[in-house]
Amino acid sequence: MVKFIQEQLKVAGNISIDEAALVAQARAGNMASVEKLILKYQDRVYNTILKICGNEADAAELAQDAFVRAIQGLKDFKGQSSFYTWLFRIAVNLTFNFCKKNSKVSFQSLQEETDEETNRQLKDYLIDKNIEEPSELASKKEVQGLILKALEKLDPQQRAVVVLRDIEQMSYNEIAETLDMEIGTVKSRIARGRKNLREILEAVIQ
Amino acid sequence: MKDMELIEELLNSFIDGELDERKANEVKRLIDNDTQVRDAFDSLSRYKKLMASVSPAAVPEAFCESVTGRLERQILLEDTSGYHHNAGVRHLIIRRMMTAAAIIVLMAVLSVIVFDIFVPKSSRDKFVNNALNRKQKPQVLYEKPFADVKPAEEAVVAVVPQEILSVPIVAKLTLVTDSPVETDWLVGKALMNTGLFDKTVEIDRKTGSVKYVLSCGRSSLVNLLGELSFIWPKCTGAKLQIGTEQAGQYVTVDNVTAQQALEICKADSYGQRIRMANDIAVINNAAATDVLATYFAKQNTGSDLLIPEKPVLTSPEKTPQSISDISGGKANLTIMVIGG
Repeated sequence: MVKFIQEQLKVAGNISIDEAALVAQARAGNMASVEKLILKYQDRVYNTILKICGNEADAAELAQDAFVRAIQGLKDFKGQSSFYTWLFRIAVNLTFNFCKKNSKVSFQSLQEETDEETNRQLKDYLIDKNIEEPSELASKKEVQGLILKALEKLDPQQRAVVVLRDIEQMSYNEIAETLDMEIGTVKSRIARGRKNLREILEAVIQ
Repeated sequence: MKDMELIEELLNSFIDGELDERKANEVKRLIDNDTQVRDAFDSLSRYKKLMASVSPAAVPEAFCESVTGRLERQILLEDTSGYHHNAGVRHLIIRRMMTAAAIIVLMAVLSVIVFDIFVPKSSRDKFVNNALNRKQKPQVLYEKPFADVKPAEEAVVAVVPQEILSVPIVAKLTLVTDSPVETDWLVGKALMNTGLFDKTVEIDRKTGSVKYVLSCGRSSLVNLLGELSFIWPKCTGAKLQIGTEQAGQYVTVDNVTAQQALEICKADSYGQRIRMANDIAVINNAAATDVLATYFAKQNTGSDLLIPEKPVLTSPEKTPQSISDISGGKANLTIMVIGG
């Protein structure tokens, strides 16, 4: 059943599925609609949580919790916001709570994560500006690990804003709705978060 | 410093496409004219490209199945927990009610027991009457001879002859004899023959007299008097006293014969018995006069006194005799044998 839906979604490509109808059917207890909703958002929810909490196993568990709570709470979903932002609000709040309970001070130096060559390439890209496109650089596991570790160093609120904007590609309005804050706050947190992240990364590659 | 923070915010919004056209044009002009702003913009753009190029991680396998499985499990658990909860609540209520009922029953039983033990009967009756809203019967402080007698209509239901016969006979038979030892022996033999020796309540032997007190049935008394008829020839005098309704009052029949005593004791009712005893007493007293004695002497009829023409038999109240007629009732007989 799941495979069939996955195939259908691949075939459908950019064809938008009527989210409201899916939500209504899922609320009525239609498990096929529930599965469609899960398949539609599982990648984005999982990756957002992973970027915030930094651990794959925890991210998987938290993502499952988020979906279960969202589906079970569909009866309370009034449709004032989209299901997408509502689902992400649940996921981010769960992750915040998890991070508060499991806050660990990491003494591991970020420099141990990368070799000299990667450091040089990253420095070239960010400071010396010799590389125009970072796709080759970003495909390296070391760089990805470095970025995730740098994200972990951020304050959770800034981290969430940066992740939702730069990785999840949410608009400022969606971020404000998801995190239940003012747009002005979103703007300032994005600016401060990006600046802090840049400083963290530059400190590594110096 | 604040200006730089504001510019950075504007640059971030510009890069993200969140500025309106007017502000976006202003930021563009600023970038073109200010090298520091241009460097910041360039650095920010590179950073943004780097972050955007981070490839997304693959979702764990069977993620969707796990979520749906958890959902189904939770739905089942919710149903089950609801069922168990309701069943538990019901079970708890029933248990509490049964416990309360058992306690109430136990308390009631204990109260009855304590009430029965400690409260006097009169108070108990009063309490019960009050509780049941019953009117208490007025207490009778004087004797009402007919108060408890049922109306005649109700009494018609069963008139049983045995009830009339059941009036107890109280009699004293005094025998005066010149041979008391022999007479006493004969009395004892008569008692043995009729099986009444064991029922003799008292035997009082004194010098010159023997007293037997018997408590037996009426039929046994009749049998005994039949046996005792052999004693009469050995007696110089015989007196029968029949007890009346009033205690200590007797109708005395002097010079009674064995046949007369037998007839009196055979009488069907108390009234008949007393009437017969009175009649025979009158007759015997009259017969005891000298004229009659002389007459009887001339007629050579022996020492037996006149036997009347069975006054009993002439009574209109006479009923046919049967075994059942004489078999019922109680009798108390005192026999005195006195030496002459």
